[in-house]
Amino acid sequence: MSRHKIIRTMNLADELDDYDGEEDYYEEEDQGMSPEDKAKMVDGLRRVREVLGDDVPSLTNERIEETLWYYYFDVEKSITYLLNQAGTTEKKKQKKAVAAESKVRHTSSPASRHSIPPGFWDDTPFGAVPCYRLSELLPPPMPVDCRTSGLLGGSGVQPKTSKLAALAKARSKAKAEKAAEAGAESRTAVSLLDRLSKKKTDTPPTISPAAKASTTTSTPAAPPVPDQLHEKATPDTPKDEKPIETLATPSSEPDLLPKAQPSGFAMSMFGNRISGLFSDGIANSQIYCSVAPSQKAAAKAKQGFEGPSPDDVVMAAQSQSKGLVKGQKPEKNSTAAAIQKGVEALKVADAPEKPAPQKIARKKIDVVAEYEKSKSRRKENANLVVIGHVDAGKSTLMGRLLYDSGVVDERTIQKYKQEAEKIGKSSFALAWVLDQTGEERARGVTIDIAVNAFETEKGRFTILDAPGHRDFIPNMIAGAAQADFAVLVIDSSPGEFEAGFNIRGQTKEHALLVRSMGVQRIIVAVNKLDLMRWDQDRFDEIKQQMSQFLTTAGFQAKNVSFIPCSGLTGDNIVRKPEDGLVPWYSGPTLVQELETAKPVTKAIEKPLRMTIADVYRGGVINPVTIAGRIEIGNLQVGDTIVVIPGDEKATVKAIEVDNQAADWAVAGNNVQLHLAGIEMDYLKIGDVVCHADTPLVPLKEFEAKILAFESLTPMMVDIHRGRLNASGRITKLVATLDKGSGTITKKKPRHIGPGSLAVVNITVTGAPLPLEKGSKIVLRADGLTVAAGVVE
Amino acid sequence: MCCQARELMSTGASEATRRRHPPQATSSKLQTFNTRPDIATTSKMRLIKQQVERDGSGTVTLYPEEPEDMWHAFNLIRVGDTLRASAVRRIVSESATGSTSSSRVHMNLTIVVDKVDFDTQAGQLHINGRISEENKYVKIGAHHTLDLELNRNFTVGKAEWDSISLGVVKEACDPAEKAEIGAVVLHEGLANICLITEHMTVLRQRIDISIPRKRTGSISAFEKAMDKFYETIYQSILRHLPIENLKVVLLASPGFLAESLQKYIFAEAVKSDNKTIMSAKPKFVTVHCSTGHVHALNEVLKSPAVIARLADTKYAKETKAMESFFKMMQTDEDRAWYGPKEVERAIEKGAVGTLLMSNSLFRSNNMNERRRYVKMVEDVKASGAGEVMILSSIHESGIRLDGLGGIAAILMFPLQDLDDSDEETEADVDNQDNDNL
Repeated sequence: MSRHKIIRTMNLADELDDYDGEEDYYEEEDQGMSPEDKAKMVDGLRRVREVLGDDVPSLTNERIEETLWYYYFDVEKSITYLLNQAGTTEKKKQKKAVAAESKVRHTSSPASRHSIPPGFWDDTPFGAVPCYRLSELLPPPMPVDCRTSGLLGGSGVQPKTSKLAALAKARSKAKAEKAAEAGAESRTAVSLLDRLSKKKTDTPPTISPAAKASTTTSTPAAPPVPDQLHEKATPDTPKDEKPIETLATPSSEPDLLPKAQPSGFAMSMFGNRISGLFSDGIANSQIYCSVAPSQKAAAKAKQGFEGPSPDDVVMAAQSQSKGLVKGQKPEKNSTAAAIQKGVEALKVADAPEKPAPQKIARKKIDVVAEYEKSKSRRKENANLVVIGHVDAGKSTLMGRLLYDSGVVDERTIQKYKQEAEKIGKSSFALAWVLDQTGEERARGVTIDIAVNAFETEKGRFTILDAPGHRDFIPNMIAGAAQADFAVLVIDSSPGEFEAGFNIRGQTKEHALLVRSMGVQRIIVAVNKLDLMRWDQDRFDEIKQQMSQFLTTAGFQAKNVSFIPCSGLTGDNIVRKPEDGLVPWYSGPTLVQELETAKPVTKAIEKPLRMTIADVYRGGVINPVTIAGRIEIGNLQVGDTIVVIPGDEKATVKAIEVDNQAADWAVAGNNVQLHLAGIEMDYLKIGDVVCHADTPLVPLKEFEAKILAFESLTPMMVDIHRGRLNASGRITKLVATLDKGSGTITKKKPRHIGPGSLAVVNITVTGAPLPLEKGSKIVLRADGLTVAAGVVE
Repeated sequence: MCCQARELMSTGASEATRRRHPPQATSSKLQTFNTRPDIATTSKMRLIKQQVERDGSGTVTLYPEEPEDMWHAFNLIRVGDTLRASAVRRIVSESATGSTSSSRVHMNLTIVVDKVDFDTQAGQLHINGRISEENKYVKIGAHHTLDLELNRNFTVGKAEWDSISLGVVKEACDPAEKAEIGAVVLHEGLANICLITEHMTVLRQRIDISIPRKRTGSISAFEKAMDKFYETIYQSILRHLPIENLKVVLLASPGFLAESLQKYIFAEAVKSDNKTIMSAKPKFVTVHCSTGHVHALNEVLKSPAVIARLADTKYAKETKAMESFFKMMQTDEDRAWYGPKEVERAIEKGAVGTLLMSNSLFRSNNMNERRRYVKMVEDVKASGAGEVMILSSIHESGIRLDGLGGIAAILMFPLQDLDDSDEETEADVDNQDNDNL
């Protein structure tokens, strides 16, 4: 299909919808200068001023505000930061002054820039100022000093790009682009346009007023204007260190200025009195060429500024495609947002874009061979499921892990802290990293699994944070089905461990579930030990009880390890606890322990099987996307797949492995498949994806060998397999088996007692299920896990 | 659009059958059954005439008024019975010249039943049989399918009216106040909208929507889909549940979905100014259950909140009885037995305290089998100590019981090895089969 066709068939409403969503998202992130915030800002500013007074040079209100905003109105941190910064800026300023001296002669020194040479405006025809001499009144540029540090206090790890960092980045990017040919449209712009809507590639970019306004922040400060606007801010921005050579500003040396003819208006006003002043009589047309000291410089200036700057192109593209630039927004916010969007867009554009041809070429890759080759190059990705009783602190522990390993930045955590405090759940701030829906936050309970990834020196990990509440065990099963190993979180505080460990507690149920789904390695994180004052006896007590239970549950002793830690304080998770805090423990931290766990080897040569964990709209180019983990087999771009149950076929248009485009994927990979030739309605969470030539035959009735956790009779049950959740009925109890030998102990038992091994027949109530021999299933009834087993 | 519902429209035709005609003046003697002004909740099948001889043979004439009555008729009419009801039949007549003309003629036909077919969703009963009484249009032996209609008499003739059959008639005409309830059981992406009447659980609609899961940084798709999900349920409730006639509407789910749905319903009702829903606010009750599948109704009906409201209804009692059976199975397995043979032996020993039977057993076409079950019921009743409950096979509790073979018993004292000889006898049967081969 040609691109024109895509455009033609594109549903405009849908596209707009999409962008609406996106914009909302940004808005939430960046522009939340609510009235409360403003009040806080004023208050904060006042308090900072009180402390610092006016004795700190170069301290502008804007900077203070900026810092406050960054620290989420934390006055103390802001002050510390400002004081630190003030020191460094002073030094810089001195250096700058020296440097400025030696600059080329048309560079204005900071001092001279504010005085206008006499006769400066003489040559300008009144009312017809040539456009290149027009300057714009700008909001003060933001301080860029912080781009190096990003973070001021806190963890000191490399943070995610904050607003300011993004700004600085955008600037340096703009610089680089300027160096490139002005005519060559930057790749960024093109691909960005491409992504947004193909229509726009052939129309020359125009500068909308909004775009123009936004350029200002990414180009160096505008030429001096008779205005006090900048007086405070400009001197200490490091941008100003650099000569403003590319700007078509009039030189600061007045003698060089030739004079123009008086304009018609001037003549009419002043008559011949002034005509004498212009005796030089140079034609207007020449003036503009000779304004700059040299022809060459002028030409350069002209070239650089006649066409839109690369930034303008980007901005124009954005303002056009969004079509909904919020003009009324405070300019500071909108420009910052625009820049961040630009940066985001750059990131997206970096991923190689696949055109969407009708026929997707299959590259006929020998995936198995490729996989063997790439093994040494790539860090192996391991999935870990985090399980445990409700309120054991699973999400908080993982939030802490992500924060300390730098996946989540300080600013986000500060924001969560404030918001969590507002609803009186301050200790939940870290959990909010994973609990993102309104319901989860309001109730302080994880409902669905949250998927996050982090990387250490030794490996990549995908965290599946499972809900602990017993109502959401189906979701936990979905997570556990994708896991290589498990982290069992235990609340060590008094009474809580016991609550989770009793007969109806989820500590036991979860451990049994993950084991019955094939997880062999389990790491027990004994959490909240800070509340127990790092009591060794408590740790040992839990360790002893848990070891015993896990052994009976079928875990081998060598595959079980215990780590004392505290999710809230962060001790022994990424960093070692402070010296002397836990004198009795010298073992590894949680992350170090994770690194020792290796992903389970998978059968990658067998026919493909992948349970769909999520179906969604991946964007304009990829309207149908499914996500999941490949259980068995391999897959490459161009393959024809079939979705079971049903026999709808689709073609794999593109594959993303761990959010990076790939040509192929193998069992164990977390993938997103962009599909072509299928409607979203045919895809259901829990369905199984197979290759079209090796499909699975869905079953309506099957025999299963199960381990009973509760008493079983012929009864209605929920059948779970990963995300699949269907209703069925145990129709017949075939036999109970001996656990050791597997021989039949009793045929046709009346009921199956808890803990016994048995063979049963199961009939599915609704449509046939995508199960086959060897599929691991979990049976639940009345909110309890009654059995787990394998389809025979 | 991505979030189009995969809806399985389960009903639609039932609208017509739910029309209530004004009662026709038939037998004034029996009008007394219908003295309460609230027709909607008390109307019952009416017994027009009962003529049963001493030997048990005889006829009963009944007047059905609502779809549930068809369910009773379904439990009453068996293969081999005679049935007289009004019918429309197309008559083709041939003139002397050989040209044919056809016309539709209303008449009363009597048939000997061959097959009985009940459509739960639409509440319709189709009875197939051969004509046994000739009239001027049709001959004996011609086939006809009678569709029983509401508000028209039908007459059932049996060679043997046993206690169960008479029990069905009695129950069908029992004017006790009914409690119809609506129930919505749901989990994320799946909702079942059911109507529970005294004797039936009808799945009115099943909603199955694919909901994108929450992903890092993007929850808008999830929240949009959830909104759409609630919206679909709300519309379906409006369409399929006669709210003003219901005693209570149960919203049941794991987690907090039910509460969110309740909030959504009232917010929506206020927005669209839906007086029916707003005035029915106290009827909506949220209950906890562990899944959104229909069988979660078991859990719902045994929850304390529901029992408190519906304690004296038949289905609440049935659910409770099944629950105590399963509990007994776990605590004292020798006092809980299921399966025809085992229960029969327990009855012989006079041990049965509560006998639970599904009415699907009495629909058996095998006369001997039916007699055997009837005898079991009568024996338990005769023993004086036992209680018999006949569960409707289309209630969830009945479906559970059917899973156990349709018959179960809670014993007064433990008995062991009731199934002992079972394996031997079956082994014998197997051997015999092999011998025959």
